[in-house]
Amino acid sequence: MNQFIMSMDAGGTMTDTFFVDDTGRFVVGKAQTTPADESIGFGRSVEDALAQWGQAPEAVFPKVATGIYSGTSMLNRLLERKGRRLGVIVTAGMEDYFQLERGIQTYLGYSYQDRLKVSTHRHNQPLVPRERMKGVRGRIDLFGTEAIPLYEHEAEAAVAELLDMDVEGIVVNLLFSYVNGAHENAVKEAALKVMQRKGKSVPIYLSSELYPVMQDFARLNTVTIEAYAAEPSRGQFQKIADRAKNFGGQFELRVMASHGGTISTEARELARTLISGPIGGMVGARYLGAELGIGNIVCSDIGGTSFDLGLITGGEFTTKTQPDMARFVLKLPLVDIDSVGAGTGSYVRLDPISKRIEFGPDSAGSRIGMCFEQGGVDTPTLSDCNIILGNLNPNNFLGGEVILNKERSYQAIKERIADPLGLDPYDAAEGVLQLFENHLRNEVYARVFGKGYSPEDYTLFSYGGGGPMHVAGYTKGLNFADVLVPAWAAGFSAFGCACADFEYRLDRTVNVATASPDLAPAAFEQGFDLLSGAVNAGWEGLRAKVKDEFAKSGVEAGQIEYRHCLRVQYVGQLNDVEIELPFQAIRSVDDIREIIERFEAAYSKEFSRSAKSPELGYLVTNVLVRGVVKVMKPALPNFPLHGPEPTADALKEIRPIYRNGKWHDARIFDMDELLPGNVITGPAVIEASSTTFMVPPGAEARLDQHLIFHLRHLED
Amino acid sequence: MLNKVQAVDSRIENIGWEGKTLRQMLKESDDIFDRTGHYQGLKDLKIRTGQPILYEKIFSHLRGGLVNARSTALNISASPIVKEIGELSFALYTPEGESVALSTGIIVHVHTMADAIKYMIRNNYEQNPGIAPGHVFCNNNSMIGDVHTADVHTLIPIFWENELIGWAGGVTHEIDVGGIQPGSMCYGHADRYGDGLLVSAELVGTNDLFHEDYLQRCRDNVRAEMYWVLDEKTRLTGCQLVREQVYRTIEEVGLDTYKAFIREAVEEGRRTLIGKVKQMGFPGEYEAPTFIDLPWKNDETVHPLARKDTMMHAPLRMKITGDGHLGLSFDGANQWDYHSFNCAPSPMQGAMWVQLTQTLWNSDKINDGAYYATSIELPKGSWCNPDYDKVSTTLTWFFLIPSFTGFVRSLARSYFARGYLEEISASYPCTWNLLQGGGINHFGQPSAFTNFEISCQGTGAAYVKDGEATCAAMWNPEGDMGEVETWEHLEPLLYLGRGRKANTSGAGKYRGGCGAESLRMLFKTESQILFSAGEGHVFSSAGVFGGYPGNSGYRHNVHNSNMKELAANKAPYPTLDGDPENSAISAMVKGDEVFDLNQMTGPHPFGEYDLYASVQRGGPGLGDPLERDPASVAADVNGGELLERFAKPIYGVVLTKGADGRLQADVAATQAERTAMRKRRLERAVDTKDFIARERERVLEGHIHAPVRAMYKSSMKLSPRWAAHFRNFWSLADDFSF
Repeated sequence: MNQFIMSMDAGGTMTDTFFVDDTGRFVVGKAQTTPADESIGFGRSVEDALAQWGQAPEAVFPKVATGIYSGTSMLNRLLERKGRRLGVIVTAGMEDYFQLERGIQTYLGYSYQDRLKVSTHRHNQPLVPRERMKGVRGRIDLFGTEAIPLYEHEAEAAVAELLDMDVEGIVVNLLFSYVNGAHENAVKEAALKVMQRKGKSVPIYLSSELYPVMQDFARLNTVTIEAYAAEPSRGQFQKIADRAKNFGGQFELRVMASHGGTISTEARELARTLISGPIGGMVGARYLGAELGIGNIVCSDIGGTSFDLGLITGGEFTTKTQPDMARFVLKLPLVDIDSVGAGTGSYVRLDPISKRIEFGPDSAGSRIGMCFEQGGVDTPTLSDCNIILGNLNPNNFLGGEVILNKERSYQAIKERIADPLGLDPYDAAEGVLQLFENHLRNEVYARVFGKGYSPEDYTLFSYGGGGPMHVAGYTKGLNFADVLVPAWAAGFSAFGCACADFEYRLDRTVNVATASPDLAPAAFEQGFDLLSGAVNAGWEGLRAKVKDEFAKSGVEAGQIEYRHCLRVQYVGQLNDVEIELPFQAIRSVDDIREIIERFEAAYSKEFSRSAKSPELGYLVTNVLVRGVVKVMKPALPNFPLHGPEPTADALKEIRPIYRNGKWHDARIFDMDELLPGNVITGPAVIEASSTTFMVPPGAEARLDQHLIFHLRHLED
Repeated sequence: MLNKVQAVDSRIENIGWEGKTLRQMLKESDDIFDRTGHYQGLKDLKIRTGQPILYEKIFSHLRGGLVNARSTALNISASPIVKEIGELSFALYTPEGESVALSTGIIVHVHTMADAIKYMIRNNYEQNPGIAPGHVFCNNNSMIGDVHTADVHTLIPIFWENELIGWAGGVTHEIDVGGIQPGSMCYGHADRYGDGLLVSAELVGTNDLFHEDYLQRCRDNVRAEMYWVLDEKTRLTGCQLVREQVYRTIEEVGLDTYKAFIREAVEEGRRTLIGKVKQMGFPGEYEAPTFIDLPWKNDETVHPLARKDTMMHAPLRMKITGDGHLGLSFDGANQWDYHSFNCAPSPMQGAMWVQLTQTLWNSDKINDGAYYATSIELPKGSWCNPDYDKVSTTLTWFFLIPSFTGFVRSLARSYFARGYLEEISASYPCTWNLLQGGGINHFGQPSAFTNFEISCQGTGAAYVKDGEATCAAMWNPEGDMGEVETWEHLEPLLYLGRGRKANTSGAGKYRGGCGAESLRMLFKTESQILFSAGEGHVFSSAGVFGGYPGNSGYRHNVHNSNMKELAANKAPYPTLDGDPENSAISAMVKGDEVFDLNQMTGPHPFGEYDLYASVQRGGPGLGDPLERDPASVAADVNGGELLERFAKPIYGVVLTKGADGRLQADVAATQAERTAMRKRRLERAVDTKDFIARERERVLEGHIHAPVRAMYKSSMKLSPRWAAHFRNFWSLADDFSF
């Protein structure tokens, strides 16, 4: 044991820590989250984890090479509106941004039914109250031209008023500042002047410096959240870093960010660390895929409330540039994950009039279902279905910490679902699960097919607490190249965070066009200087910024691997596609042809051949630079292979499970007792403390040397 | 996969089931419904009751395919109307044209596409031009089945072997349709001949590809041609994705099960709506008429035939029967005219349907079965069922939207009677001002635009809470107003501001949601033709249970303004108009000011630095304003949603300034004021009989505003039944007419 990787996830209730050594041995610790000072919960969780190895933190921390933070404290600060007291300066006339929002923010995250029903739509509580929103006259137009000069005296007055209101920071977001930041800079100068005069100083956040991207409202949301919720996190990070140092740690604590890399706690753009949980799984899958030589992966993660789906193609995932989080539309890079509002805790009901089966959209979440008496739930859930069919062991939930009541599940399903439909309760429960799995299967297929691929090209990874229970159902008939369930499925997100590179990804909007070289050769040649000038300058500027960011962590320029990307669309379209280029500056017309070829290939893959429109010309919307520094990753466990037959110790019991309309005697295995090389033929259930893996009749699962199960449908 | 037929370019005889023609199938379907009262005569839903799980599986398959088709396809469109505002939807139909399942989006069109399919069947398209695998049809003719020319349908037949097993349809709203003036819904012309490019259920593609000559005709006939062509691709791609999902479903469950399912789904949809009506409706007849003004007498930009002051009359009557039938009647609607606000029956049915999806049946399981469970009466010759098929319909919405506000209020009364208080809404406000137009834009290109901020109006008050500000549209519950930086890419008009508009909320115990306004300045363009649209002299959406309507509109523009000088001198300029009785525009800007209640105008020219104020609507209120919590009134004033001087006359709330400089309600003084107001109300009140007698005199003497008189005259002429109703109400002689 030489080196360790540590990752932590400070969730809303529990703080998990994950340690892995360089042989792939790992341990997970848990402790209650301590929101006021997260480092206390962190310390307890560390002790809990390392006690399982009989080690004290002080013995392990000096050997920790990498430490990664992920957590929900920033998100909670945002949701509870407990961020900093800010003032905002916007273009005059736009002071009502947070009252108008955009209509879409009144129903983000709603079910279809509620989206249709206008009376359920509601606006967000503003992060900054109206009286601290100040307007300054002046206008830049979309070309960057000054249409109306900035009224500096109004800027000075606005800053003075905000300072008198005791703001802790000032956000500045003017129209079209991403094209021309002169007015925002002038506001900053005016602010500095006023602050000096008043002897007060607060930080100023310019949208043109932090997020120079198109779309004024989404940009304002992003800069405001940066100042409101992200900035205060730096203090929390420091406390955790200090605690790690007290344990003897010498590593720099990094934070998991929405673009799929980790960044320093000193990074300028910290808001992108707002959501990291589901990203972890994608990063882990990408790493695992790279180690196993699998380039195309469908990632599927089932929790209590949602089913998250993402694609890795050719070893890379795609990135959304305008995601929504916590009911805000934002301009941030977010690993492309689709969340379907159905998980193991989703309620199952019949429509009172049509008697048709409805899932969710609400969920019992941690209260599991009717089977958990103390949970106070009065509607059956998918977990109740799993309980009565014998799929879930009522005495093994969370390793036996919670004993579930099967009879309550049975009664609820019988009375609420089966009797009104005239079905046997077991048939009803199985039918409901089939519908759920069918729904997930459709979603999986749609994602793969929607990108122009077929399942045969992909390997599916299933993880999360609920993934292994349903993976056989939602992959059946789709002919994936392989279906993988890591034995550590329940802790896969934490594992994933430990797999992330140290990576900054910065972008800016440029909006320069080029004509098609075939359809308009003269215009194509003519546009060369404009396009190459804008892209090259953009990349160069971003490279310098990336270098500065790394410098904060003491990383030297030579260690950084730069990757140069563009977002391109047909002129006039609103949807751009990200492509990576093999050069760091456009030097010839051939380079532009390369851009066009890569764009068209990516575009027609994603949409449809018939949608190609070269006659419109091409618009480079954004330039991007990714700077990557490789870091130590968890080693994969690698054990000697044994025979296919599990040992007698592994077999816990024989339990009846209901499947395909009849009862089967299923063998129940203890996951921890299975050995690499074992092959489990269905019907069987493999139980671990935090997850249950279903191997139905007609399927088999083989555990490989890396402790990953391979599920095969024998009948497909 | 062998039996999947996608793109074989050969005619197939009798493409219906069991060797029938489609025409035969449709006729049999209609006949059997008339005979049995069940869609396809289905008394028993065999899959639905015998295999409920399989039934749901098929539904979820198809529905998943539709939602996925929409989310994939909308990325192809260039139009912010489609991509950002989401003006796009897809549906799957039976061979006879009944929708089975639909995506999200502008689902008002699901039923209009059904009408277009039925038109093709009735007109024997099977023989000529033929309906074959790989064919692509396009329609934007509202007389066939559409709302207006701006909404363009793509319809493709879905074949399995030699049988037509259904249709996939997609619709988008276009930025320009090549009308006589720029903008997607231009008006001011007299009839159909100014409406723009009309594609009348036309075969526009084979082998899954558009005919190049068709695309060229589109390019040649519309402004903003790129948007049109990309939207064609968007719709076709989506339809093809829907077809793929149908094939996958059939491969899984078999053809016979699929065929049985689609029919059961429609019949089940019919039964479910009846069930919902029985559950939530209270039997009876409800009347809720609405009106809108068209003050064109002095508008020289409109056609001479249209140059008059008129009113639209929508005497909506809702009837709920004890056996769960819901019927609407517009009997008494006045005549169509030489303007562009006439409305074909198809969009009226679509509008009823879309309101059902937002009220009685907000479910992903709704389909055309709902159409079979309801009825709608549209008097021939009226604006909502013209007997001249060359009428212009580019802005059908202008009459259609107000005409259905009474439907929601009628449902509110019905819910109240049944005790479903949380379901009650004071209805929606109309969705305007509608800013559209075009000219040579800021890129130096001829272009056109339609600003879709209209999809974010304030919502109506509920029985238990206020309405929501800037939120939704009657025709698209998933409203969104887009971003300023996006609109300025399309429109050579700078935003000087976009904010809430005080006093737009309809007052009430619970008030409507607040509306918004934008102030625009033309920049980097020599000239643009701009329209404005909305009611100015009347209210088109009333409040309920004593609540007030939201705002009506007004026109406030400045031509030849001194904005350039103001900016150069860094002198204050208006960012919004604000309180129109203390207008910021009037106070700060010099120039040729146009400031009146003629909100509905024809195409007017504007030049650089001209100002254009665009005021949206707030939602109607619910309940007596005197019952509103005084603290909420103070909060509305402090929050900028209510002008201070209206707190007392409307709400009876006396405000005083608190220590923090904010206004607060003086509870005792408010109590006293409200008591006094109630007393004054009593003093002013007259007996109903006396009131009717007094007003009757006015009717008899014809002392009625000319456009109103003309409106009633037209209604009485078109419908003897409504005339009798009117005479009976006012106790007039049998031979009375205006």
